[in-house]
Amino acid sequence: MATISCKVFPNYLEFGLEGQRHPDAQAHLRDCPRCRALLEDLTSIQASAKDWGAAEVEPPAHLWTSLRTQLVEEGLIRDEQLAPQRRQKWFQGWFVLPRPILAVAYLAALIGVAFALSGPVNERINRQRWLDGLQSSTTPVRDHLARVEQNTTLSPLLDSNPTVTASLHDNLAIVDNHIALCEKSVREEPENELARDYLFDAYREKADLLAQLSDRGGYGR
Amino acid sequence: MPEAEAIRLAQQGDAEAFERLYRLHNRRVYSLCLRMVGNTAEAEDLTQEAFLQLFRKISTFRGESAFSTWLHRLSVNVVLMRLRKKSAAETSLEEVTEPDEDSGGPRRDFGAPDLRLSGSIDRLNLQRAVDQLPPGYKSVFVLHDVQGYEHNEIAEIMGCSIGNSKSQLHKARMRLRELLHEALRQQARDERKAAGNAIGGKD
Repeated sequence: MATISCKVFPNYLEFGLEGQRHPDAQAHLRDCPRCRALLEDLTSIQASAKDWGAAEVEPPAHLWTSLRTQLVEEGLIRDEQLAPQRRQKWFQGWFVLPRPILAVAYLAALIGVAFALSGPVNERINRQRWLDGLQSSTTPVRDHLARVEQNTTLSPLLDSNPTVTASLHDNLAIVDNHIALCEKSVREEPENELARDYLFDAYREKADLLAQLSDRGGYGR
Repeated sequence: MPEAEAIRLAQQGDAEAFERLYRLHNRRVYSLCLRMVGNTAEAEDLTQEAFLQLFRKISTFRGESAFSTWLHRLSVNVVLMRLRKKSAAETSLEEVTEPDEDSGGPRRDFGAPDLRLSGSIDRLNLQRAVDQLPPGYKSVFVLHDVQGYEHNEIAEIMGCSIGNSKSQLHKARMRLRELLHEALRQQARDERKAAGNAIGGKD
């Protein structure tokens, strides 16, 4: 004989449909088909709900646009903060102000190239003279950049973004290849202004890359 | 960008961080809203409102609770506010849900023994039945049985005790059973009527 009534049985389900059930409820369940039907139905509802919840629904794409507009209107974000900021961040990543010791390397590279290309007296390269065909030797510039490159080491511990650094190294390799091609062209055609112009720009590009590498965590040796 | 970093940046007004947080949680919040109101337009409106409130208050988030719990508490409150406004002018569903409370127990309408819900509950039926639940029952049922929250999480989200959450869930399931049985009976009546009409048409 069941120890509890059908009226009381549902109260035993309040603390969960699964797991250990009270012996009185278990005994009642054995004897009462109506309460077994109740438990079966509640279990079905629970299972259906779980199945229903398994599929999360993607909101429409316009919802973010609408939300963003609202955020802009309320001044929580600024409209110009979106696309232009990304460009600015990219720019800042490459041209952030260097720390003092790195500034030396940066300036050394830039001044070195400029000085080398502008010193007419002591056989350094003057761009105009070079372009005029009076000075075709690029050796001082190349040597100077090689010294800067040799003195620029990158400490992995100081490198905040190895991906960008790797990209800079890749770019450096590309520029080196470009320089080699330009030097070859200048050697073959010393009077070709365009070839010399390209070489001058390639050296400047390399100087910039070396400065950026220094700035990313390098130090002068 | 990890969530913690996105939260920190969003607190400083970073637009990308806002978007990141939205992308991380929009599906769950939208699904919750959709299941609570059963209407896509209203669910979109509520999702937007929930995220707006989140971003307005994000500078006050101190990490005492999980961010998702905080967001879902906020979302549930947004939905409940809307549901309460809607149901304010309607007949109290609580009365309908608990007609036998005064007599000391839940309603004894278990349905005919031959009528079983097993295998007959599709999502549409369930959504219709859930739509008819009172806001409090609906919230606990959707959070627990549909969204998979535990009672302690629901208690935190709803600001109630764990026991209260369990009790509300049980009542919600019992009410849903009645509603689903009623839907089945209505369906059976409609089918009989259609069959009768077909026979009558043949004569």
